Formats: sequence, C-alpha cells, structure tokens
Amino acid sequence: MKFIRRALLALSVASAVAGVLRFKGKGVGAIKQGGWRKITDPK
Amino acid sequence: MIGIFGAGVVGSRVAETLSFDSIRSVLVFDSSQVVAQRLARRLLQTNSSIRAVNLGELQNAKVVVLAGPSPHAQIAREFLEKNVSVVSTSDDIADCLNLLTLSELAVKNNATLIVGAASSPGMSGLLVRNMSKSFDNIDEVHVALHGTGGPACARQHHRALSGQSIGWHDGEWLRRPAGSGRELCWFPEPVGAYDCYRGELPDPLLIKRAFPELSRVSARVSATRRDRVFSRMPMLIPPQAEGGMGGLRVEVRGTRNGERIVDVVGVAERVGQVAGAVSGCMAQAISVGEISRTGAFVAGEIALPNETIFGRVLACGVQAHSFVRA
Repeated sequence: MKFIRRALLALSVASAVAGVLRFKGKGVGAIKQGGWRKITDPK
Repeated sequence: MIGIFGAGVVGSRVAETLSFDSIRSVLVFDSSQVVAQRLARRLLQTNSSIRAVNLGELQNAKVVVLAGPSPHAQIAREFLEKNVSVVSTSDDIADCLNLLTLSELAVKNNATLIVGAASSPGMSGLLVRNMSKSFDNIDEVHVALHGTGGPACARQHHRALSGQSIGWHDGEWLRRPAGSGRELCWFPEPVGAYDCYRGELPDPLLIKRAFPELSRVSARVSATRRDRVFSRMPMLIPPQAEGGMGGLRVEVRGTRNGERIVDVVGVAERVGQVAGAVSGCMAQAISVGEISRTGAFVAGEIALPNETIFGRVLACGVQAHSFVRA
C-alpha cells in the first residue's frame, strides 16, 4: 500500500512538472535575426 | 505531345503547368476515366489540345509524366520499351533505385528517364544546383520537407517515418531509424518552424548522384508527436484530398574564397503544386529537345539544363526564398 501511494505521488509530481513545462514553456516565435528574401529567375 | 499518367493532385498540377503553353498537345490518363475527363474538361478553356485518353493512346506521346502513386518502375519500363521518355515523380527509395536501373534500357530505346522530379526529391536538386553557383565548392547538403501533396503522398510520408533513413556521411551510407534525429527547421513564412526527423526519403540518394563531390547529405521530414507514435501502425484516418501549405528547406555548406559558408534556401508552397511544376517543366524540356541525352537522370545533374528548368518553375508561380542573416 505504501509503495502504491509513493508511486502515485511520484507520478502526480512528474505530471505536474511536465504540465508546467508544456504550457508555460517558451514556444518558438518568429525569426528574430535575419529573414527570407525572394529569389528571382537566375536568367 | 506530352502524356500525364494519373490525374490526381500532382497530375492536375502538371496539366495546369503544361496548359500555359496552349500549342502543346496534352494527353491525360487515369485509372478512373471520369477523373481524367473532368480534368481535361476543366482545362479545355486554357488549352484546347488537352484530352483524356486510354493507356494505349498514351504511348503515342513523346514523353509521359508518371504522376500516380508509386511504384513507377514497371510502368516506366513499359513506356521506355515503346521509345517514350518518362518523368517520374516517385518519392519512394526502392522505386527510385529500380528506376535508376532502367538507365541502360532508356539508352537502348533512345529515351530519357528523369527520376524523382517532384518537390523533394526534384525541386531540392534544382535548388542545390542553383545555390552551388555561389560557392567555390560544396560538401554538405541537408534537406527538410514539410507537408504532403495528395493522399498517395500522405501515405508515403506516413511510411517514411517508420522505415530506415539513409544518409551519406563521410564516405559511407548511414542507416538510422526513421523518426529519430530531431532538428528544428525554419521554413519560409507562412510555414515557419517545425520539428523535423530523419525519414525514409530518396533525397540523399539522388542528390549524391547529382553531386558526387558531397561528403554529407541528409533528409528530414516534419512530423508531430502523433505522426511519430502512429507511424508504425496502418493509417487509421484516411488522408485529406490535398495537404495544406507545405515547405521545402535546403541547407548547403561549402567554401567561398577560403571561408566556410552556409546558405539556406526555402520554398513555401503546396507540395503538389511544386511537384507538378517541376515534373511539368522537366517534361516540357524533353519535349522541346532541351534535354536530348538518353539514359536516366536526376534533377540537378550537370547533364540537364537545370537553370532553364529552375527559371521555368519560378515562372509557374513557385516562389523560392533565400535566408538572409541580419
């Protein structure tokens, strides 16, 4: 019983940490340096 | 006369590309005759010489674009034996290898075979050739693809994440599990950044053939967690009729004036549109005699008029962008 309780506690702590990282983590934004330039016909 | 085998997403785009030149006669074949007739009727206003035909009539064409699902090797063999040149849009490794073995048959029958004339492979080879002009020499090419064309392309994308990827690495072919090797790749807007993984793609094989001097070639494909988890299972949900906005990113490394240089070029466009434009322009080049050599070739190979074809693809509305550092 004690083992199950510990495992459940560990699982819930792990999911809470994962949830915080998942939703509060920094997403990938737009490019901050540089950009895209259109290529014209090589001829 | 140019024939199109398959009137799906890529076949329709090939027909549209060829319809810009209203003089050229275009024959369309599809296993469903209704689909071929519908395509011919839709484009009849822009090109009066487009018509739906049966498989026998397609052999009257000078060049045929294979725009249906892979494998293409057996169909290509049948056309080559009838002295008909072939442009294949296949993106399956085994199929591309089988197609390359038909080189001798093509030479014997005085025909040309273009292997992998789609988005990736295809457009990727043209971009590398165009970029290589600004280098003294190139030694690394890394390709990343986002998005899919029609349903057959989506199924191929699904398979590509569950097989074995190949890459050329310092003189040997490296095999790694597909779905590994995550890399964040930036595509031109509006696609943006996507996590890309190694995939069972023929790009390294074909690019290495076109550029034997390269010491490293790799290819990646974008995927979500769901794509990777379910890649080893059959596709449970049928794919959409056409994928949304896709992207192609080609990174070339080499030297210029003794300095190490990295250049990145990308394309943001529907994958089917790019594949249709590239294969259509290849077929056009064979039809007008710009590609007159016989045998099997890949996009970007020095024997092909890559600059002319690349210019035509851009004229078809496919926009390529070069990454410029701040």
